[in-house]
Amino acid sequence: MSMPVAAPAPVSGATSDGGDLLQVTDLRMFFPITQGIVFARHVGDVRAVDGVSLSVGRGETLGLVGESGCGKSTAGRAILRLYRPTGGRIVFDGTDITRLEGAPLRRMRRRMQMIFQDPYASLNPRMTASGIVGEPLDIHDIGTRDERRARIRELFGVVGLDPDYGERYPHEFSGGQRQRIGVARALAVNPDLIIADEPISALDVSIQAQIINLLERLQAQFGLTYVFIAHDLSVVRFTSDRIAVMYLGRIVEVAGSRELNERPLHPYSVALLSAVPIPDPSVEARRRRVILKGDVPNPAAPPPGCHFHTRCWLRERLGNPAECETVSPPLTEYRPGHFAACHFADRTQGMPESATALTGTSAPEAAGGAPA
Amino acid sequence: MALLSVRDLVVRFRTHDGTVYAVNGVSYDVEEGETLGLVGESGCGKSVTNLAVMQLLPRPAGRIEGGEVRFEDIDLTRASEAQMRDLRGRDIAMIFQDPMTSLNPVLTIEEQMVETIQAHRAVTRREARERAIELLRMVGIPNPELRLGSFPHHFSGGMRQRVMIAMALALEPKLLIADEPTTALDVTIQAQVLELLQRLTTERGTAVVLITHDLGVVAGMTGRINVMYAGFVVETAPTPELFAHPRHPYTVGLLHSIPRLDSPEGEPLIPIEGTPPDLRRAPVGCPFAPRCAWRLPACWETGPSLEPLEAGATIRTTGPQATHRVSCWNPATAEEAVAGAPLRDGFVAAPPPGGSGGRGAGPVAEEGERVVFTADADEAAALPGAHGLPEPPATTEPWR
Repeated sequence: MSMPVAAPAPVSGATSDGGDLLQVTDLRMFFPITQGIVFARHVGDVRAVDGVSLSVGRGETLGLVGESGCGKSTAGRAILRLYRPTGGRIVFDGTDITRLEGAPLRRMRRRMQMIFQDPYASLNPRMTASGIVGEPLDIHDIGTRDERRARIRELFGVVGLDPDYGERYPHEFSGGQRQRIGVARALAVNPDLIIADEPISALDVSIQAQIINLLERLQAQFGLTYVFIAHDLSVVRFTSDRIAVMYLGRIVEVAGSRELNERPLHPYSVALLSAVPIPDPSVEARRRRVILKGDVPNPAAPPPGCHFHTRCWLRERLGNPAECETVSPPLTEYRPGHFAACHFADRTQGMPESATALTGTSAPEAAGGAPA
Repeated sequence: MALLSVRDLVVRFRTHDGTVYAVNGVSYDVEEGETLGLVGESGCGKSVTNLAVMQLLPRPAGRIEGGEVRFEDIDLTRASEAQMRDLRGRDIAMIFQDPMTSLNPVLTIEEQMVETIQAHRAVTRREARERAIELLRMVGIPNPELRLGSFPHHFSGGMRQRVMIAMALALEPKLLIADEPTTALDVTIQAQVLELLQRLTTERGTAVVLITHDLGVVAGMTGRINVMYAGFVVETAPTPELFAHPRHPYTVGLLHSIPRLDSPEGEPLIPIEGTPPDLRRAPVGCPFAPRCAWRLPACWETGPSLEPLEAGATIRTTGPQATHRVSCWNPATAEEAVAGAPLRDGFVAAPPPGGSGGRGAGPVAEEGERVVFTADADEAAALPGAHGLPEPPATTEPWR
């Protein structure tokens, strides 16, 4: 048994056959808080993303999961350079895009697209569906008029919409259809990377599966790489190869999708998994939820040490060790490809909470979670 | 005699766009201390049903146009507004999805809670305040004496929902209607609030009607479930029975179309194709027929009624022994419910009467995936019996 080693940043993709498409190192995105009307004094920062490192392999889906305010959407937007990051490095396909501006940035954006959560808010109500889907082609000046028109019809077909409905306006479509329009727009410029920010949470349950299956089919068809941002672990588990769990601006755990679900090492991941209701009364009757105390702390004044220590059930179990409050735990590889940022991650699996909180089907065989 | 008894409830909205057929003959009972789940998607009528029970339908558009709502011995559809005001809060309380819009933003929590208590109980202000502190402590608000002076915006979403629960339970109601109480909350906060709700209502023997779209939430929280679709109850059964033996194609579809945390690796999702029907058209036939893989020709023409699985069985409407009833001409068998699709040899879902040929180039079907298609309200309206979508056209050449 070897000691856990500090992770070489960034945590690499488990199955990166074609190398990493995206590498993010120590990304920080702070939003200033100012006071005063005439002279805005800088009085602090909302540390929305506070040192995030990750990488995504070509053709891979990385799930980025966490609760509202954890910084997952901000991280996604910063990666696409919709913001100017406060610090860190973003390398897309070998090019450092962290400080890119103007035309070179625009050229890069052709290869990175986004799908938004709310198909009601993200489509311009005064544009026709064709106009919305074709807009990226206009912006990037791709093809002639006729080519664009043909491409738009083709895209409608790809996402399962009738191409004859192109002249309709967003309000004439249902929620699921609008999300298909959003997907078609993202696909228009043939991107390599798509960041999907909660693409199904605004949709009705019976429609969600349609969009999940569509995204999966498109990934296979066009070799897309996804960063799938969501708050729902059951959805992320279904769509992602690897999952990164975020809490208060930091990644607290990264592992293969299955590994994370069966053997979570960070106490926050255990709580998050246990909180997801399972539609089966017999399973629900067996489970014991880990109920976290209180709310997520203010990201403008995050707690010192481990950000999670104020709500941590494991810390309480271990008699409140002092280092949780003073030392910020680094993301450390405990098993091959399985990283966690917790001083006591090797104790999580031995706790009764872990055994009863999950689905009740995969109780840990070996307590202790020995590091690789 | 059930605590709450809803019989053949019909609710319509008269709008500038025409009549909305929101609730189309819904019946159910709730026994004292029982927890009933109402499950369905947006627009299925689950919230409207309960607003009708509370006589809170937006007027003048929304009207109860048929049926009866009995609470204990009172017919609520005939009760006066004064009678209702007396009843609401004291006997039937309600929690809404968004606590920020149901709390008054310009009044402190103290003013709101004391007002509620004094409206129904002859107590002094001081006594009401004591009671409010006790209630806030009960729902786990730290420093309740201090927090009484706070305004709703001082609280986080989870805390606000705790305040709502405290107010709803202030007068020890016999029935609590919780309309998507945790939908606006994060999962870990949802777990806190659900645990609290379950503990408090069990302790007090409060009957609960829990309205949600989340099958996971009802699985752990309820004793019995009504599945609703397009203003109808399409299936009702005790919770364990419903999940073990779902029979209505819509229930089966829902269970197969949501990713589960504990489903085996690589198990595909089977989506329910199409979209819910436009409620601005009078229902003809089964409302689920346009999206149903099990449909028979009869489904397009005649709406089935909610019947027990075995014909002629005695019907129990409440409790853990309630009769499993389904509103379907061709329910899924046990094997089909597991597979999520009809398994009968050569079975094809019945095409809509009158056919649907002549539509333009259709969308593309991948192997193993059914055609996805677009709704066209005008065209669908022209089809007799179809309230949702026309049948998708035959597959054209696949897109490269």
